[in-house]
Amino acid sequence: MSARKSERIMNLTICLLMARRFLPRESIREAVEGYHGLSDAAFERTFERDKEELRAMGVPIETGSDSVLFPDEVGYRIRRADFELPPLEFSAGETVALGLASTVWDQARVADDMVRAVAKLRAAGVEPDADRAAHLAPSLAAHEAAFELLWQATNSRTRVRFTYKGVERVVEPWFLANRRGAWYLLAFDTTRSDRRLYKVARVEGEATVVGEAQAYAVPEIDLEAAFAALEARPADLWAVVAIADGRAPDLRRRAEPIDGVAPAGRSLFRLPYSEERDPVGELAAHGADVLVLEPAALRAAVARHLRGVVGLEAS
Amino acid sequence: MTSADQVARLLALVPYLQQHPDADVRVTAALFNTTPRQLVADLKVLWYCGLPGGLPGDLIEIDMDAVELHGRIRLSNAGFLARPVRFTLDEAMSLAVALRALLELGDSGLKTAVQSALVKLEAVIGTEARVGVRLAGGEDETRDALAAALARGVAVRLDYHGPSRGVATRPLVDPERIVVRDGYAYLDAWSHERGAWRSFRLDRIVAVTPTDRPVSDHGAPPSPAGGWLDHRQDAVEVTLELAPEARWVTEYHPIRSAVIKPDGVVSVTLLVADPAWLRRLLLRLGPAVLRVEPPAAAASAAEVAREALDLYES
Repeated sequence: MSARKSERIMNLTICLLMARRFLPRESIREAVEGYHGLSDAAFERTFERDKEELRAMGVPIETGSDSVLFPDEVGYRIRRADFELPPLEFSAGETVALGLASTVWDQARVADDMVRAVAKLRAAGVEPDADRAAHLAPSLAAHEAAFELLWQATNSRTRVRFTYKGVERVVEPWFLANRRGAWYLLAFDTTRSDRRLYKVARVEGEATVVGEAQAYAVPEIDLEAAFAALEARPADLWAVVAIADGRAPDLRRRAEPIDGVAPAGRSLFRLPYSEERDPVGELAAHGADVLVLEPAALRAAVARHLRGVVGLEAS
Repeated sequence: MTSADQVARLLALVPYLQQHPDADVRVTAALFNTTPRQLVADLKVLWYCGLPGGLPGDLIEIDMDAVELHGRIRLSNAGFLARPVRFTLDEAMSLAVALRALLELGDSGLKTAVQSALVKLEAVIGTEARVGVRLAGGEDETRDALAAALARGVAVRLDYHGPSRGVATRPLVDPERIVVRDGYAYLDAWSHERGAWRSFRLDRIVAVTPTDRPVSDHGAPPSPAGGWLDHRQDAVEVTLELAPEARWVTEYHPIRSAVIKPDGVVSVTLLVADPAWLRRLLLRLGPAVLRVEPPAAAASAAEVAREALDLYES
């Protein structure tokens, strides 16, 4: 970091912001002290870099010409209406919500964006206030290696190349979703011309951006439907289980009691399950609390599973 | 820190200091997530900034004596930078997504405020967030009841379907705060029965019954940061060799390390503080666990499995 460079970029910003018309390069070179004493080549290089930095920060620098006679003589300016954050008024309750939101991100890069966003709110006279909700400690993490790149690519509509399930593909990120702590990407796979859902943790190796930002349009998506695969599947099968009294409340909640002769100290339940979400592990995890009676195939699978666990001790 | 970071901060600092005359150096530094020393360096940069021409009357004025002697900031002659810059896309999204995350965490009062703040924010951003968050935050009634108890400072009785023991319990607890870890919301509370801090997953709380017993001071609950297993002093290290189909374990549980071998077998090292938790994990994974080190760590799971097998084979 150099104080002289920061000073130069600040003065360039103020100069372009105060310009009534498009300023040609030579006028800017003269007006901003930081450009004095540079050779032509050095000035060109420095000015281009400064513009890039400002644009990356969200400062809209316009290029154009005021001259009807010489429209090719371009100049630069910052239009105040495009530059300034529009007026924002928040109620007391909303400032508490904003204060709380400002503590949510537990991902370094996004947390930095958040700090800058909150600084702008404060500069606009909004005072985010988390103290009044001290008993709430929300947090949103992203441990996935590919998250940062996919976050920026999704926001800026930039194509991304990565390997997934052993296949390299180029996708157009449409939407990122967090479900129960894990991140998923809904994207259009240009290699296969198909819309797909990717688990970000399973992106293999390094993801890279391809081409420019704002490169494609995101169609109207029925998000509920697109992400339905991540929610619990509707049950299509039923099992009969004998649950020991007072045990396995999580299964009881999903099951309905049925009549019939149960072993002593147990009650019979009809339990919905689906083949896609393999129920064997969950049933076996209850040990002797849950005894599967029907169907026979499920009963045999649970017994086989339990035999595997018995074998572990000898491993 | 890069120069871009400093410029971004300066562009917000100038309008902020005009909104807040006589601001305190330390408070301001903390709000801008920087050090007082850096903030003073920022002010020294601003001292040379202003309208083109660079004449004394054109520059931003800062009372540097007040800064250095009294730690107060008085900035003037900067009317040309009265408002902050618009949000960048990433900034706007970080804010919008964080607000969305609160929707499934707060009580109904907070929820309404979050929704209206989002509407105002999205009007300024001009685009909807393309990032969504869904937390397992339990039922609205649960969060409303807990928020009311937290506000009143009274103990509550929970109907709780805990994960490890497979039974419903009705603990009497002093609620302290609601935290989120890895997508799940938890109530951190002092358990009267245990005489210790406990975490209760909100989506496993079936009912909350308020009492009139005021809560007492139990000090601070353990830090919510990061993988909670790391903080347990009595945790033991266990290594599991998993078949490729059980790789998901590395995505859902706090692990020390994971090594994928050429044949796809994953060797995962976990810190285990709660034997019941490991027992359940092993019972759930079954034959997908190829080896446990130390083997004794599997003893309790094997015993439960044997007991269950007796039922199937009798």
